[in-house]
Amino acid sequence: MTQVIEARGLNKSYGALRALQDLSFTVEPGRIVGLIGPNGAGKTTALKAILGLTRFEGQLQVLGRDPHSQRDALMQEVCFIADVAVLPRWLRVSQAVDFVAGVHPRFDRACAEEFLRKTDIRMRSRVRELSKGMVTQLHLALILAIDARLLVLDEPTLGLDLLYRRQFYDTLLGDYFDKERTILLTTHQVEEVENLLTDVIFISRGRVVLQSSVEALAGRFMQLTVNPEQAARARELKPFYQREVFGRIAMFFEGRSASELESLGEIRTPSIADLFVAKMQEIAA
Amino acid sequence: MNSPAAGTRAAQAASAATAPAAKRLTRNTLLTLVRREFWEHRVLWMAPLAVAGLLLLCALPAHVHLDMIDAAQWRDPDHNAAVFALAQWGLAAPHFLVMAIVLSFYLLDCLYAERRDRSILFWKSLPVSDGVTVGSKLLVALGVVPLGVFGVALVTNLLFTGIWNIRASIGHSDALVLWDTVTWLKAEAAIALLLIVSMLWYAPLAAYLLPVVAPIVERLAFGTHYSGRLISYRMHGSWAALSLPHAFEHSFSQAGHGRLMSASALLDGLNVPAAFANIDLWLGLLAAGAFAFAAARVRRYRDDG
Repeated sequence: MTQVIEARGLNKSYGALRALQDLSFTVEPGRIVGLIGPNGAGKTTALKAILGLTRFEGQLQVLGRDPHSQRDALMQEVCFIADVAVLPRWLRVSQAVDFVAGVHPRFDRACAEEFLRKTDIRMRSRVRELSKGMVTQLHLALILAIDARLLVLDEPTLGLDLLYRRQFYDTLLGDYFDKERTILLTTHQVEEVENLLTDVIFISRGRVVLQSSVEALAGRFMQLTVNPEQAARARELKPFYQREVFGRIAMFFEGRSASELESLGEIRTPSIADLFVAKMQEIAA
Repeated sequence: MNSPAAGTRAAQAASAATAPAAKRLTRNTLLTLVRREFWEHRVLWMAPLAVAGLLLLCALPAHVHLDMIDAAQWRDPDHNAAVFALAQWGLAAPHFLVMAIVLSFYLLDCLYAERRDRSILFWKSLPVSDGVTVGSKLLVALGVVPLGVFGVALVTNLLFTGIWNIRASIGHSDALVLWDTVTWLKAEAAIALLLIVSMLWYAPLAAYLLPVVAPIVERLAFGTHYSGRLISYRMHGSWAALSLPHAFEHSFSQAGHGRLMSASALLDGLNVPAAFANIDLWLGLLAAGAFAFAAARVRRYRDDG
């Protein structure tokens, strides 16, 4: 199957800081992939490399193209939302629609206008007159009306209230996503997107710590919560991370079966947020 | 299975079909980018209209009657034609002066504003190359705005002259009614010629935005003034290239009175072939192309972290 993104040994430095260190990962078509990492992990740098916005060393193909040398052609099939603050404040809503219609061959003006009709946004308004949530809706209306194969979202809901965040992801799933399209997103609010993702890539200090489909996580990782008296026996099975929760101990295991663990305490598949914290703490230890 | 030849023919046909579409898209893209500049920098269209409005406002309360001036002089057709031509140029001058100021600020701001408000990330999310974007800004500064200002100045001149003539007629000062179609055409042609050559001549300045940055850096770093002299040369070199000073002299001597000038003589005195044969004009355009290319590369690869 042709990969949407294929990255091999990406390196990028800002002075002495190594933002990407031999970063390698792949993204298959029709997936919703979360690129998750702490601040300064290299998420945004990786997205910039994918979008051809920064130079890098290594091999990178996006939709079969080199984003560095074929960026203009690539952007006909790729959309991205950096964050909601990047729509120019002087722009009118009607001008935003006119502009994208004028420069993008895959933009469906009727689709964007239909989406905007369902909101409180008026075509004569300027971006500076809209609330942050409305700016997101406008940006989303423009992006959803583009028949793109890859959508890249970098912290798209940063600073939005819960209602707009929920609405954003509902629209994305309901109106945009299908098996022909791929979404790659970064966010700090892991809990809000974990039911949305089909795949996760954990990244730390410019390296991939974990890449897996969400389905595969269930078989690979296990969270065991034990009473203190069972802790010693459980530690013999080598959890990669443990922490105290209300007097009990939560332990995280990789590659252990349920039958090995269930006699020691309660077992469950860890949430993506818990797994992320566990993997980051494992690296930091 | 298709033969290779059939495949080639099909590819050629497909290529022929997509070529006009691609051309149309590029034209639409350029038009949209130019429109965007006028949306963002509203001063580009508001300033010429404001200047026109002010000039016409000045025309309205003017008192036009013959007692004000030497009546005999105003019965000389050569004198009147000269005054008419001078009036056309004098009325056009504020437009182009304001245009120069507005365009200087526009060129300094147009690639910086999108980084300041981070909107560059939105513009770059769309399939428009950096070269076309930078090119559209130069097209606005060196083509669209000068052409538009020329049009506004021309209409302003006509309206001003119309108001003047109506007031002269009402004031029973028919000698002051000024209109000479040939002189008007020649006066406007001289303005258009000067504008075209000047815009080509100023292209490297516009592309590099040299006027503000380079002389300061050079003076601080090396204590020399070469870039200042270069700017000075590029600012008024086009006048010499067109032989404008000589044409002025020529126009005065041809008037016969030693005190009047003729638009015909001025136009005849302008050396248009020499202006376009001047190597510095073409070197300047080459430099403009190089600076525009550099600006596009900076826009393409500059990473603000």
